[in-house]
Amino acid sequence: MRVAIVEDSLLLREGLASLLGEAGLDVIVQCENADELRLKMDSYDLDVAIVDIRLPPTHQDEGLVAALDIRERHPGVGVLVLSQYMELGLAMKLLADSAEGVGYLLKDRISDVDDFVAAVERVGTGGSVVDPIIVSTLLSRRRNEDPLAALTPREREVLELMARGSSNQGIADELVITLRAVEKYVSSIFGKLGLPSTGSESRRVLAVLMFLRT
Amino acid sequence: MTTPALAHGVAVSGARRPSRRRWWLIALAGSIAACSSALIAHWSDHLSEPVLQVTLLNWTTLPYIAAGAIASWRRPDSRFGPLMVAAGFVMFLSSLQWTNGGVPFTLGMAFDLLPAAILLQLFLAFPSGRLERRVERVVVATAYAAALGLQLSKMLLWDLDGRNVLALVDEPGAAFTLEDIELGSLSVLSLAGVAVLLIRTRRLPYPLRPMVAMLVNAFALVLVMLAVLLVAGAFGWPAFETIRRITFVGIGIAPVAFLLGLVSARLSSSTLGDLLVQLRTHPARAGVREALSNALRDPSLTLAYWLAEFGCWVDANGQPVELPDEDTDLTTTLIDRDGEPMAALLHDPSLADEPELLDAASAAAAIAVENERLHAELRARLDELHGSRQRVIDAAQLERQRLERDLHDGAQQRLIALSLELGRLGRSLEHDLDARGRVARARREVAMSLEEVRAVAHGIHPAVVSGHGLAVALESLVARASVPVRLAVELDGRMPERLEVAAYYVVSESLANVGKHARASAARVQVARSAGQLVVEVVDDGVGGADTERGTGLRGLADRVEALGGRLRVWTPRGEGTRVRAELPCA
Repeated sequence: MRVAIVEDSLLLREGLASLLGEAGLDVIVQCENADELRLKMDSYDLDVAIVDIRLPPTHQDEGLVAALDIRERHPGVGVLVLSQYMELGLAMKLLADSAEGVGYLLKDRISDVDDFVAAVERVGTGGSVVDPIIVSTLLSRRRNEDPLAALTPREREVLELMARGSSNQGIADELVITLRAVEKYVSSIFGKLGLPSTGSESRRVLAVLMFLRT
Repeated sequence: MTTPALAHGVAVSGARRPSRRRWWLIALAGSIAACSSALIAHWSDHLSEPVLQVTLLNWTTLPYIAAGAIASWRRPDSRFGPLMVAAGFVMFLSSLQWTNGGVPFTLGMAFDLLPAAILLQLFLAFPSGRLERRVERVVVATAYAAALGLQLSKMLLWDLDGRNVLALVDEPGAAFTLEDIELGSLSVLSLAGVAVLLIRTRRLPYPLRPMVAMLVNAFALVLVMLAVLLVAGAFGWPAFETIRRITFVGIGIAPVAFLLGLVSARLSSSTLGDLLVQLRTHPARAGVREALSNALRDPSLTLAYWLAEFGCWVDANGQPVELPDEDTDLTTTLIDRDGEPMAALLHDPSLADEPELLDAASAAAAIAVENERLHAELRARLDELHGSRQRVIDAAQLERQRLERDLHDGAQQRLIALSLELGRLGRSLEHDLDARGRVARARREVAMSLEEVRAVAHGIHPAVVSGHGLAVALESLVARASVPVRLAVELDGRMPERLEVAAYYVVSESLANVGKHARASAARVQVARSAGQLVVEVVDDGVGGADTERGTGLRGLADRVEALGGRLRVWTPRGEGTRVRAELPCA
């Protein structure tokens, strides 16, 4: 898997590169700002770009703009956005069109090496990753007539994992249940929440997030 | 700069009024003149109906003396009063022709037609006492020339039974012809005077009060009658005597009109009342000039303000004004405060004849100008205060932004790097379970530190607002609220950062209050731009009755909003929820 890293802190950039290298990923691009990445994107064949959301020169929205830019110009390249803050608004902006090959994670997650490498691989292969903080914010959101109240605790766990971008297999592994059971839960949840079945797993993420957002 | 020609200062005292003694002197002289005329008539050998003639003479002269005296007392600066007094006495001189001969008779005879010229002068000199135009001066001078010159020429040719000491020859025929010419020319001059008067009335620098103007116009008829009388004399019409008496009645009443015109033409309590009301309702500079111009009935009036710091006079628009020299058409009245010039009225010179009016108007203007000055000063101070308050907030905001950035780029990044190292270390200790556990604990500690630093940094400055705008930032705020919140953000594009940050704090503080105090079941957050304002509204359905001064942070919010020129309002009726509304100007 070919990876690009855009991060203005040298310490983190190199730490990240060695971590991914140790895990067997190919970090072929390292740069400290978005413009550099844009240039290199044209000459390198990448699977995933890891983008810090706060980038020079102004440290305002350069990272987000770069991520959306890559999504538009290189739809085949996954984008994993790292941020010090988890903002629901930013997650929704990032996922606005599709959740395919998109990730939005709290920067701390990089220390959980195995999970982080798995997340990079998932985004790199067209999957989605949404930080648990975003999902729990959405799930704990107060609602007037909460449709989530109709879910069983198990269904709630499955919903949470779906929202984080897990595949059915991922959910089955995580909860230690069969794939068949996961499918049953998913269809029950969709039924209870009145959501139309979406087919693809990454489209499912967006549907669930959009539902939880309101 | 030229020294202004000063007509009055603000404080006009009564010191210039003629003394009481002068008044008594005029009264005494008038009485003597009246008695003398009666005695002369009594001893006259040539006068038919002496009582009537004396009465008519006194009727046409005493009113002028009396009115003149009153006028010069009320209007010490007007030349019209003395002119009327003088006219009255000169007209008395014609009574000398009732004497039986010699020098007094000759003198009286010489002054016989002088009253016609005097009356013409009075009518044309009203109300200033001056003959302002050339045409007026020519008419009056010609009248005097005819009334005296032709009269004296006539007297050289006619000895009138030896009573006329001036007579050189006795040619009554020639004398009569001269007399006809004299009467005719005086008649024509009187009519010319009427014409000048009528034209001038329409061109007065200020309109007289309608009633007085009407009176003066009516008495202009006296001049017409005078003209008719003179013609009647020339042609020896039988109605001459009747016309003469009617004319004399008119002549005797005319001073009343003059007096009215002089004393109450412009000054009245209602005028001043109007002025004060106008100054109250139009405190702006243009309004002051307008009100003064109306009150003084002088459309040409200019109000100049003294700019001490620049040492020059300016008008309401700040354009420089030159105060006129002494020999121009305008007169200047200075308005000062504690001896320092403050403003100046540039007005028609005739206003100088009415010191009370000018004083009152100047005093009112002084109040208005002072008021205006204080207003301007207050506005300037407020602007300054507002500006410095905004600068303080901006500086604090920049400082907070810098601190947040330092934390983000410094401590937070380092902690993450540390956490990353610990993660890698943990992985390398695959088989040492004890060491792995300790590394994992260390990672959790680091994660907690990060969490704390992050909270502090966010408290210092909500970076997401500057980075991604209000709409994005509010989404998390609303999602984490303790009650269901409906969020509606209707903004196209970004707003100035300080407005966004203020709006963010309004929502975050208000939602925190909803959670802590309101016991609400739902809330609504609305952000929209309307009429040049960013309007932020947070409404809940809780218990209301929030303490807006303590514990709710609303005071701090209000300070923040007001420093940006905005307004924060809170409605919190007990039992009916709370509504916080911030309006921030964003033109």
